[in-house]
Amino acid sequence: MASGKIVKTFITPLGKENPVFVQILGICSTLAVTNKLENTIVMTLGVIFTTTLSSFTFSILRKVIPARIRMMVETLIIATFVIIVDIVLKAYMPDIWQQLGPYVGLIITNCIVMGRMEAFAASNPPGLSLIDGLSSGIGYAYVLIIIAFFRELLGSGTIWGFSVFGDWWSNWAIMIMPPGAFFMLAIFIWIVKGRMAE
Amino acid sequence: MKKVGFFAERVKPVIIMAALTIICIAIVSGIHLSTQDLVIANEGLFLKKAVLYAGGIKLPETNAEINELYEERVAERGDIFEISGLSGDIAAYAFIIVGPGLWGEIEAVTAFTPDLASFVGVEFVKQNETPGLGARITEPWFKEQMRGKPFPLRMVPEGTAGASGEIDAITGASRTSAYVLQIFNSAGEKAEKLRKEGI
Repeated sequence: MASGKIVKTFITPLGKENPVFVQILGICSTLAVTNKLENTIVMTLGVIFTTTLSSFTFSILRKVIPARIRMMVETLIIATFVIIVDIVLKAYMPDIWQQLGPYVGLIITNCIVMGRMEAFAASNPPGLSLIDGLSSGIGYAYVLIIIAFFRELLGSGTIWGFSVFGDWWSNWAIMIMPPGAFFMLAIFIWIVKGRMAE
Repeated sequence: MKKVGFFAERVKPVIIMAALTIICIAIVSGIHLSTQDLVIANEGLFLKKAVLYAGGIKLPETNAEINELYEERVAERGDIFEISGLSGDIAAYAFIIVGPGLWGEIEAVTAFTPDLASFVGVEFVKQNETPGLGARITEPWFKEQMRGKPFPLRMVPEGTAGASGEIDAITGASRTSAYVLQIFNSAGEKAEKLRKEGI
């Protein structure tokens, strides 16, 4: 395996084919979990774990699985990894698990995970699929973290729960609410795509 | 086109799917069982912390200390928690109250003074309110304002509570505020019933 191919597989989902701002996938969770930095980071770690291992596992099985049950198997694999994330959070990080509520389980329906399995892992060897899954997860994660940073800062005046603005700051309630995520995401896509077009 | 046999077309996918499902279930069950004790301990500790907090007792740092303090100060009688003060007398009665919330059920521990006339404190055990809006019911300022409040309660716009029986609502979370008020007032009714029946 040429190292150039590995690097290319890793880099592409971070920028040129970013799952969030280019493919516009995984928007549901981008809007739902980005109002607090801490929750966002735990959530994105869950997605990175799931998308990496799902792509890897499916790639190993890709020649054994009959085409007609391909999507059932994909869903089964994703669900297994997501439930593992859910159980581990519940046991070791109960406070965060409680705050994330249903969103961990909803990683199952995140289009990025299944999208990478269909588009990449189904036709590439396990090693490359693992890298593709990992970098797709990272590509998703850093966009969410940037959005969450600004939403928490403007909406609560805090970063990671620590107050940064002090008492004079009046919280922008809209940033905490779902519409705030639409604005932040749109502004983010506008800036990034504007730069990409140049 | 290659002719696909009955086995390859119909039977094999079913066998593979069933085998994979069994493997996945085995993995998930294994992890679930191996962490089950921890999860139950977490839930138990969570409730203990809630009862102590509602009863107005400052929580110690470590889990072991919390367990110890709980053993010392709290007696469970049916669904009532009797919280004793430093002198050993009853300082508060607490019970769990459940009611509807915006997205899911809200469950809270509510503690009352020994004469069952006003709140000692409250703590939420379960809630799925909107993070940053309704979920602000779990923030200290919201819970602390309940200390010593007589019921029935009334809710006033955020930042304006003054008179006895008034609590601040949460701006941007009118529905959650209304549900929480309803829950606290039904806890008040239950306390009053307990007082009439004798505890």
